[in-house]
Amino acid sequence: MDLAEFRAGVDDWLAGHRDELAPAHRGVGTLDEQLAQLAKVKRLAFDAGWMRRGWPERVGGLGGSTLLRAYLGEALTTADLVEPGIYSMTEVLAPTMIDYAPEALAAAMVPRLLRGDETWCQGFSEPGTGSNLAALSCRASRDGECWRVSGQKVWTSLAQHAQRCVLLTRTGTPDSAHRGITALFVDMDSPGITVRPIETMHGAPEFCEVFLDDVVVPLDRTLGGEGQGWSVAMDLLPFERSTALWHRGAHLQHRLGQLLRAAPAGALDPAALGETVQLLAALRARSRATQYRMAAGERLGPETSVDKVLLATAEQALFDLAEGALAEEVLLGDDDAGARWRSEFLYSRAATIYGGSAEIQRNIIARRLLDLGDDR
Amino acid sequence: MERAERELFGGAVRHATDAHPGDARALDGALAELGWHDALAAEPRLAVSVLFECQGAANATSGALGEVVRGALGLGDAGAPGAVVLPALGRADAPGRLGAGLSVRGLGASALGASATALVVADAGGADAAVTVGTGALVLRPVEGMDPWLGLVAVSGETHGAEEPQPLAPGSWAAAVDRARLALGHELVGAAGAMLELARAHALEREQFGRPIAAFQAVRHRLADTLVAIEGARALLEAAWDDGSAATAAMAKATAGRAARTAARHCQQVLAGMGFTTEHPLHRYVRRVLVLDELFGSARVLTRDLGRDLVAGGVLPAPIPL
Repeated sequence: MDLAEFRAGVDDWLAGHRDELAPAHRGVGTLDEQLAQLAKVKRLAFDAGWMRRGWPERVGGLGGSTLLRAYLGEALTTADLVEPGIYSMTEVLAPTMIDYAPEALAAAMVPRLLRGDETWCQGFSEPGTGSNLAALSCRASRDGECWRVSGQKVWTSLAQHAQRCVLLTRTGTPDSAHRGITALFVDMDSPGITVRPIETMHGAPEFCEVFLDDVVVPLDRTLGGEGQGWSVAMDLLPFERSTALWHRGAHLQHRLGQLLRAAPAGALDPAALGETVQLLAALRARSRATQYRMAAGERLGPETSVDKVLLATAEQALFDLAEGALAEEVLLGDDDAGARWRSEFLYSRAATIYGGSAEIQRNIIARRLLDLGDDR
Repeated sequence: MERAERELFGGAVRHATDAHPGDARALDGALAELGWHDALAAEPRLAVSVLFECQGAANATSGALGEVVRGALGLGDAGAPGAVVLPALGRADAPGRLGAGLSVRGLGASALGASATALVVADAGGADAAVTVGTGALVLRPVEGMDPWLGLVAVSGETHGAEEPQPLAPGSWAAAVDRARLALGHELVGAAGAMLELARAHALEREQFGRPIAAFQAVRHRLADTLVAIEGARALLEAAWDDGSAATAAMAKATAGRAARTAARHCQQVLAGMGFTTEHPLHRYVRRVLVLDELFGSARVLTRDLGRDLVAGGVLPAPIPL
């Protein structure tokens, strides 16, 4: 199925199942409501076949270009059916499992994520390890046919709702840096795991602290091999900056249209509006090229940091514009629309922090793309 | 063109722009010889993007922008000789006005000064027409200004009768403006890339406090931001060729203009004292992009006008399709 055929099919399907797909909640909804909506939409889209396109048959997919996934997420997010942040987990974690999990594990697990049966999370950051990922210290030790894991993770999105976690652990010596890291696929109901959601300023307890106390993980839950965790992470991060980023860009474009309709006469500064439109267009053009490179089987790498900087810049420009033009709603509005603008404005403050901070992206660009050598 | 042929063509164009950076006449000759005009007619996207990116990178100048306009008007080889008059600085409307006579106000490449005739697109009361006038009837004033090496000529004058206006199909001038904006966008991106390369080389070589200044994060981040600006503009230019819309072409030109100004600011800072001297080539690029940004509408004006149109009409340009 080619992109044009897929696009027409998805559009028809969305139009024909409007009521069934519509959220049960009003307005932004709580995180629980958003996740229930996400699960419902994924299930319906999976059963109709759309959610299976672009994924390999060995994990329950129907094959086809990854461009189909890019379009599906765009269509769902611009119809306000799913929140792009929580939808993005699928695009980040499923490819990692396909590339690195033992075949049987990927075949058993990935369909559950695609169908919306399960929520997964990604245990990377630690209290002492934000941007400097290679310094992580959550310890996994071999004990016969299993790993025993102890340590702490933080900023783990959706951990309180997740059934599984792609967890980075230290299996080498404490100073083994990127060489001594191993990625594990962990059941979140394993004894010894405690999750504490973190209240954030945008109002959704999306991030969590995860405490691991002597958690047993079977050896066959190792992704890649022992010591391959850095490769897993380095291949995963570009996925955050490819399909998922396309979806986010589409969402921002959609919100810009809503801002244009919602802004009172005279409230939008033409120069700032024009620049925001251009920033979003440049982001979209860049991300589009990335989608095509990915679809052609190219391995994505540090060049996707350019996409991330463009995204963070455009996202903050958009919500700065919204905050100024809709000041009454953003600052004083207690209705659904006001709450949504406020929450998204506040969340946009984190666009230069999550998924590799603006500083780290620029460091990657300087070292890997401009070849400026070491920064010390 | 086949892939190998495209590469050969690209190599020849690059060779020509590198060989004649300060000599528009020589570059025009070299382009004619290597078949650039034929390529412009057959594969405008390739011909325009390759030449203007190389021209920007080499700080070269030619009469090619006029040829791009002529080609987009459909007058490529249709008996309309003479150099092409471009709009006045900062403007994108046709440089001529046809009433009782022809009134002209615009700019041209240095080739215009040497040409016996000039091709002027004129607004004839709502419809556009092409007029070929003798340059003797116009006032041509070589411009030095910010960028003497660009070799611009200011064109003005009023003529009466004699010329035979050739009606243009509706929308031809608008199409020529779109094409010229893409060409200038590529030239701005080429110039920005050259500034980045100059600053990068300097940062790796210049040592302070016992290490190359490229090791300092403040320097690295300026250069990283420059690359991001360039790559965003380049992607939008490609998208504009893909979708062929006036809206995307204007956004691409504005984004390229802003990227070039970003590059000029950051690279000048990284090159510091060196980049402030005339012994270093940076200043030529800084000057060049300021003028190129203004041709066919500056980033500032295109951006404000886009916002103004949206506020008035309220409909966003259709998003670039996947």
